[in-house]
Amino acid sequence: MTQQQNETRQLEGKTALVTGGGNGIGAGICRVLAERGASVAVSDISLERAQTIADEITSAGGTAIAIAIDVTDVASLDAGVSRVIDEFGQLDICVPNAGVVGSQGFSSRNDFTDGDWDATNAVNVRGLVNTAEAVLPHMRERGYGKIVNIASQGGRAPRGPDVILGRQIIPYLVSKAAAIQWTHVLAQDVGKHSINVNCICPGTVWTDIWEAVGENRSMFEPELGATSREVFDAAVETRHPLKVDQTPEDIGYAVAYFASDQASEITGQALNVNAGSVLS
Amino acid sequence: MTADRAILSRQLEGQVALITGAASGIGRGIAEVLHSRGASLVIVDIDGDAARQAAAEIAGNGGAAMGLSGDVTDPSTLATAVDTALERFGEIDICIANAGVIGGPGFSDRRDYSDADWDATQAVNLRGVVNTNDAVRPHMAERGSGRIINIASHGGRAPREDGSELGSIQVPYGVSKAGVIQWTMHLALQIAKHGITVNAVCPGTLWTPMWQRIAVMRSQQQARYLGMDSKEIFDRQIQGSVPLGRPQTPTDIGNAVAFLASDDARIITGQALNVNGGATMN
Repeated sequence: MTQQQNETRQLEGKTALVTGGGNGIGAGICRVLAERGASVAVSDISLERAQTIADEITSAGGTAIAIAIDVTDVASLDAGVSRVIDEFGQLDICVPNAGVVGSQGFSSRNDFTDGDWDATNAVNVRGLVNTAEAVLPHMRERGYGKIVNIASQGGRAPRGPDVILGRQIIPYLVSKAAAIQWTHVLAQDVGKHSINVNCICPGTVWTDIWEAVGENRSMFEPELGATSREVFDAAVETRHPLKVDQTPEDIGYAVAYFASDQASEITGQALNVNAGSVLS
Repeated sequence: MTADRAILSRQLEGQVALITGAASGIGRGIAEVLHSRGASLVIVDIDGDAARQAAAEIAGNGGAAMGLSGDVTDPSTLATAVDTALERFGEIDICIANAGVIGGPGFSDRRDYSDADWDATQAVNLRGVVNTNDAVRPHMAERGSGRIINIASHGGRAPREDGSELGSIQVPYGVSKAGVIQWTMHLALQIAKHGITVNAVCPGTLWTPMWQRIAVMRSQQQARYLGMDSKEIFDRQIQGSVPLGRPQTPTDIGNAVAFLASDDARIITGQALNVNGGATMN
């Protein structure tokens, strides 16, 4: 982190809920929002993982709580959101981030299954819808709110042959395109309440999801790389015009901007944060 | 704004930004925001006196700003401006190609486009952006870093209104701004290897002299706006087309530019971001 980033407290006094915050991109988002001054509710399907990130933030001098939320379970979301509002008094920012690449056994299959369609739809699409619906009554009542969905550059139109575009990942790509469209229609719907809804489309970031994708490709397209990490490195090399590492924190910085009042006139937009590998 | 300044004041500390068309309107707003975040400014405008006055007014608050005359349709004037800026500041970290026109002379009096509208929008909005970017890129490539932000328009995205009532007068403008978005993507791919990012901001609907000319044109030519005051026409446009129900301001555009120019956006390139209250979505 550079000095200028460290000194930017653009979210001072704000409160945020992040789903899937226990690892990967979600954890990076939680860290950045906390650094920028927000009180952060780190939620994850695993309370243990959420607690680890919340503890890390607290030891660094930030404010965070850990909550178990399963985004496919509306009751779990409602309880989680009530808890956040009880603890923090209000909820300004919601980052529906929890996502899956497929169902159990994804890495060892070379084609999609019904289970992959069901899992990606349930978590990556309906999970975003459920999360927004759980926070919207509170945001509508206040006439204020920032929702920043996490989709993927894979939800944009593909540019051509790509090392990760085997058939097994198609349900994931379709679910992320749906996340972008959901962002558009929700923004249209809640604009009158001064609620902003935007979406970040991350590029190629080394996370559990990418580890599974790399493992899968390494198994079925061995010339791409002998290990998951080799496949990932090759993907970065071939896809990224800009030769810089993309980190979960980079996604967090873009989320922090959309969640701030500096972006109050931006709504319904999806922004690729991906070193230029897909343009829009 | 005071609180924002305190919180974000260091975001662009030590950076030098060159901005075209920055004596008034959106460009002036961008200049003010970047200055408030700590950037030194090179304000370039076709009206050199206005550029110098804007620089003096902004730098009066402390910090460094210089005003220069430059015509984006004339690459030699841009080369001179870049040289002068480098003499003074030693570097250009951020380039904002903002200068634009809505049409040719007499725009407000026409319902349909003329050759003059195509010529002016192509020359200033598209070639002017290319010229501006080309004037700074050798310097940025040599340093291995740089941020280029082009100001397009959400009018450069897919159109939302048919021309039956509006006429075709705004078509050349929209086409030129679509060209800016496409140019931004091409340039991003071409110069990523030098560590330079290139993005576009697409402003929505702002109450600027440009929109005033559109409103005057509508009040004279369109049945439903006949005789209405320009501001009333503008407000009606906002209510009918913007989900957030508000116009945007030059400061809103400046905030987006500042984000794209900051370290926070270091891996963002080749993208166009609408800042338009949701009027068109991407």
